[in-house]
Amino acid sequence: MTEPASKKILLVDDSPFMLSVMAKAFEKEGFTAIKAASAAEALKILEKEQPDIILSDYEMPGVNGFALRRSLLKDPATKDIPFAFLTSHKDNDLIMKGLDELLAVDFINKETPLPVIISKLDNLVATVRQKQALSVEELRKAAEAINVKSIPAKRPDVKGFEIDFWHLPYQGHPGGDFIDFIRVSERYIFVVLGDVMGKKWTAWFFTFSFLSYIRAAVRFCVVAEEYDPALILQKINQVICHDEVLKDILAGLSLLLIDEETGKVAYAGAGDLPLLYYKAGNGSLTSIKTSGLLLGLFSEVMYDARILEMEEGDRLLIFSDGIIDYTEGDVHKSDYDLFKKNVAPFLKMNNSFTAIRTYLQKQLAGSRQADDCSIISVLKK
Amino acid sequence: MIMLLEIKEMDKLVAAKITEHEANLNNAEQFKEEIFALIDNGHLRIIISFEKVNYVDSSFLGAMVSCLKHALSKGGDIYLADLQKDIYSLLVLIRMDKVFKIYKTEEEGASSI
Repeated sequence: MTEPASKKILLVDDSPFMLSVMAKAFEKEGFTAIKAASAAEALKILEKEQPDIILSDYEMPGVNGFALRRSLLKDPATKDIPFAFLTSHKDNDLIMKGLDELLAVDFINKETPLPVIISKLDNLVATVRQKQALSVEELRKAAEAINVKSIPAKRPDVKGFEIDFWHLPYQGHPGGDFIDFIRVSERYIFVVLGDVMGKKWTAWFFTFSFLSYIRAAVRFCVVAEEYDPALILQKINQVICHDEVLKDILAGLSLLLIDEETGKVAYAGAGDLPLLYYKAGNGSLTSIKTSGLLLGLFSEVMYDARILEMEEGDRLLIFSDGIIDYTEGDVHKSDYDLFKKNVAPFLKMNNSFTAIRTYLQKQLAGSRQADDCSIISVLKK
Repeated sequence: MIMLLEIKEMDKLVAAKITEHEANLNNAEQFKEEIFALIDNGHLRIIISFEKVNYVDSSFLGAMVSCLKHALSKGGDIYLADLQKDIYSLLVLIRMDKVFKIYKTEEEGASSI
């Protein structure tokens, strides 16, 4: 899990002096302080930034604190950010209006000593975070109760293969990536890596619907003795395209079918990144592509599968798009070829997957991560 | 509200340039609203210019596809242009080039559509 992002406060005040004093004081207490000299500037900043809390002066020339709060309440992206007023007013009616009508979390008198203000807001941010963590925990418990996990707890045992996986949620929130290992018989196991488009909560909720459909499609095909990942993708896609709730939700999916008896692996993909195939014999690393489009796009899409006859020491890597994202300065980028180039040297090592994981952890540490990251490794023993 | 898209009406289509450097979760919904509004106002063929865009995340890709589906359902189409090399490569890798018609530049698209 990532460390929680540092606490961020947006300070809005028309007095440059007040802004600077407050920013310094908050920063000393571990906050990242963003300064806005007017309501207009605050709105501009909020298009890009998502602070944990906003502290705004009430009286400002032009747009005052109340009008700013009203604009923020209208926008779904900003309406839930806790908002506190800073004011020299002692008018109780005004304060009540701010608290009741404009859902401000507090009215702070300008004469309040700064350490008290900081401590108040610090507690507030902590409480909000605690509540969020509790809600996540409740949702997790509910999902687990119906036996749907978007990320498995442990690696599966597969005869003749060694499977590893690693997942890092975006900013510590559950997101759209999901991994599943579906054991259908003593001979066959399916390996699933999916990525519901979107981030955080919305994407996370839909992973459960996708997972349920995938499991159902796998089971139906197995009952009909059709061990073909391309056919399974086709069935999943058709169901999703006809599902009223899911029809505007898209997902990429990599599906592997491992045959423990023959050692063969069948792979089919839906709008996923090409998997990487490392051959120990000659040290080559190749991208394996299939032609299938994202799930949920068009109901008539055809999918194709590739059969891989892996030799001892060969390894497959399947991964979500977060793995190839990186940040350069302030700029986010995606580069599949760069990831391929960087990961190649690790594949020759004995503890390849540990080395890859360590490399990714370092690479994606802190603000460099731009999305959920998931990777599965399949090694032929 | 500040518009995300810079709109230019052309002969047979509308060109919409994304004005931000990142096309992501934060502006995906706004993008969708602005494109839907164009389509619903009868602009069925839209070429989207990514000239300024350095990064496209999966939420935004989802919004692009929603727009395409909406346009197709009304007999229109969405085209992409001016993609930076790594964004183009990513779209090809995940086969989005089979979903959208992609032109090198907005001009090239405008003259051949």
